[in-house]
Amino acid sequence: MSERIPITLLSGYLGSGKTTIVNHLLRAEKNLRLAVLVNDFGAVNIDADLIENSDATSVELTNGCVCCSIGDDLGAALSAQRERTPPPDAILLEASGVSEPARIARLAGHWPGFTLDAIIVAADGETVRQRAGDKFVSHLVQSQLRCADIIALTKTDLISSQASLHVQAWLRTVSPAPVVMAPDGAVPPELAFSVNSGQRMAGAQPEDGQHPAFATFTWTPSHPVDIARLHAVLGNLHEDIHRVKGQLVDARTGTPVLVQKVGQRCAITNASEAEQFCLVMISVDLQMDFKRVAADLDACAVAPG
Amino acid sequence: MAEITVFTAKKIHTMNPSLPHASAVAVRDGRIIEVGSLETLKPWLDQHAHHIDNRFADHVIMPGFIDPHLHPTLGAILLTCPFITAMEWRLPDRICPAVTSHEAYVTRLAEIEAEFAGTDDILVTWGFHRIWHGDVNRAVLNAISTTRPIFVWQRSFHEIIANDAGIEWLGVARADLERHPQIDLSTGRFFETGMAVAAQSLNTVLMEPVRFRRGLELVKQAVHLGGHTTIGELAYPLLDDAREWALLSDTLERDDVPFRMKITPRALGRGKFEGNASEDVERIKGFKGRDSHRLFFGNSVKLFTDGGFFAELMQMMDPGFIDGHHGEWLMAPEQFEKHARAFWLEGKQIHVHCTGDMGVELALDTLEKLQAEKPRFNHRFTIEHFGVSNPEQVRRIADLGAIVSANVYYLHELGEAYWQKSIGFERASQMARVGSLERAGVTFALHSDFTMAPALPLNSAWVAVNRIAESGAVLCAEECVSLDAAMRAITIDAAYVLAMENEIGSIRAGKKADFTILEQDPWDVPLEKLRDIPIWGTVFEGTPFPHSK
Repeated sequence: MSERIPITLLSGYLGSGKTTIVNHLLRAEKNLRLAVLVNDFGAVNIDADLIENSDATSVELTNGCVCCSIGDDLGAALSAQRERTPPPDAILLEASGVSEPARIARLAGHWPGFTLDAIIVAADGETVRQRAGDKFVSHLVQSQLRCADIIALTKTDLISSQASLHVQAWLRTVSPAPVVMAPDGAVPPELAFSVNSGQRMAGAQPEDGQHPAFATFTWTPSHPVDIARLHAVLGNLHEDIHRVKGQLVDARTGTPVLVQKVGQRCAITNASEAEQFCLVMISVDLQMDFKRVAADLDACAVAPG
Repeated sequence: MAEITVFTAKKIHTMNPSLPHASAVAVRDGRIIEVGSLETLKPWLDQHAHHIDNRFADHVIMPGFIDPHLHPTLGAILLTCPFITAMEWRLPDRICPAVTSHEAYVTRLAEIEAEFAGTDDILVTWGFHRIWHGDVNRAVLNAISTTRPIFVWQRSFHEIIANDAGIEWLGVARADLERHPQIDLSTGRFFETGMAVAAQSLNTVLMEPVRFRRGLELVKQAVHLGGHTTIGELAYPLLDDAREWALLSDTLERDDVPFRMKITPRALGRGKFEGNASEDVERIKGFKGRDSHRLFFGNSVKLFTDGGFFAELMQMMDPGFIDGHHGEWLMAPEQFEKHARAFWLEGKQIHVHCTGDMGVELALDTLEKLQAEKPRFNHRFTIEHFGVSNPEQVRRIADLGAIVSANVYYLHELGEAYWQKSIGFERASQMARVGSLERAGVTFALHSDFTMAPALPLNSAWVAVNRIAESGAVLCAEECVSLDAAMRAITIDAAYVLAMENEIGSIRAGKKADFTILEQDPWDVPLEKLRDIPIWGTVFEGTPFPHSK
């Protein structure tokens, strides 16, 4: 069976800035062939200079990406992506503002041929607190925030830095997910998509005159690792380390495992075979100090003997 | 001009309070000339060629029944499947007796499987419910057949159970099925998002054009069987307009079809949650000019607030559901308001699907705002379904000039199940609060939302006047309606909900000659026998259409 296509789910209530994030990711992602599935691509307003072709249900972009409208059947839309040759490297799925991301993630992440990568929930810095107390949508908005892997706080340029700090503190009481600042929808693609993250992150250099949008760190173990200990270390990781991905060798079985962590959700599963054994970490905090993590990880490696 | 036909009857209930009873009705060119007695009709009969038709001399004539909310396309998908149901279903091609135990379920399914012998068709049966039918699982189905794919489709559409042959037939990689959290291969259960995986393969069979057309033919017969002469399709299109319009007009716009269908388009396309309201206003204007004799659009649109009632996805106000789960919004509340406003300003009649009390609340809050922005009279903003509500909302419905189209059958099938498992006795017993509507003077219709309820208006009226739940117990007698109100709710008041009261819904001079012919008088039988009254057939625009015996 060919590899399952990873899906990044973008959720968030009406007006939370999902479309701006989609547009940003379409512009910023240079290496992956993305398929963006949206409820209504008319509403996405894709930059005209990105568009190669468009018809009633899909828009083809110059960078090889495609934007499709879901219509009334998400499963059918996913299956159609699977049929494309070649299939896309990753799917960005924009959920409707009223859907429960947990449910969409179950449907899409387990659709034959697909797997869930991350759930990003957009929160409008200006209005999210008010919506979370609304007569009709308070439960929905809070539930969306709760099941996020990463919360992208949008429209922070429209509020004072004081107000922004308040809303971040409040978000921490609602959801365990780390919050990244995303004025103008600027979520780094490296945060949204884990595909080939090893090569991409390790090789990622800011273009001339640009600041990097994130910090990375690669840990290469000296020996196979103790999986239980690794779980514990990853479970206590600094919350601003937003993603971890890589392959390691299980010291107990001697077989390769795939490690993936996004936000607070961590999975260690059996891997077929690995090209290189290392863990790549990514944080949008440019000052992130990875030294302590490295020391903790080193303690997971088990010397043969 | 054609000759006048005079139908005489044992009794005619005109549903016109100014002349409630009559014994003869004169009809010409599909319209009523006059209703009364042979005596009072004399001035017309003296001057015009006529003949007296006494075939209904022993029958009772009522205005043709109206179901203002059902979905022919959905019914077409289901009616090609064998039913095994806990309640009796009377269908045009069969009567499905109530099957209320595990053993009876398995026996019935084995009988049906035997009827499939000699074909390689897959068997998809609908109606299974664990409360009555117990644990029907993969092993049970394997014992019925190891070679024929069998799919048991749950009553509320949220679960499918398959045998090994069925699982194999789906053609999905086993690893993909095994890892799915909502697929359990050991029991053969596919539920919620797991069911979508099974449905993807099943749809290729259920939606296959020849089968679908056969289903639509059965819907046509089911509508006639219930005694309807007018129905409302209340969310067009189900799938896609071009294909559906071709199929519907080809199947229903025929001389042998004894009913008409008023179509209310969805304000948003199916599967859309957001959208540009002004574009949708324009899209709906595009339906203009399509009308034919039996199929036509009016001035109405359909909007949605909360999720499905059978699926327990209605939005509930505090204290919510016993198990703590939450309902769903089918549109974001702000989006609902934007769309409602756009159509309100266009002068449209807005029908709103509302199943839980919070869904009703959103509809009423929105209506109140719109009334403040641009007051309208006779707007007929209609609350559809009306599952759970509270008494204060009924008063507000009256204050704001709204009306209701209720699926009262919820109470019969779900009243006790929701009392025990979902929302408790107080609110479950008061679902479909129609008695309060009658007391508040709110016009209301009864509908089936077929296949949510059987498309049998007398059955809906029976629930409304008796409130008899599945076990036979009466739930909240205070919310029973009078027989007069119930019969109005399937005739003249249903016509009002469809904004067609000047054409249909009662028997008076000038209206369409649509009649439902009954073997007994609803006002003479005990209320609990109302649904058992045999229907002879109908008269549609003056032409008798007997039920085939």
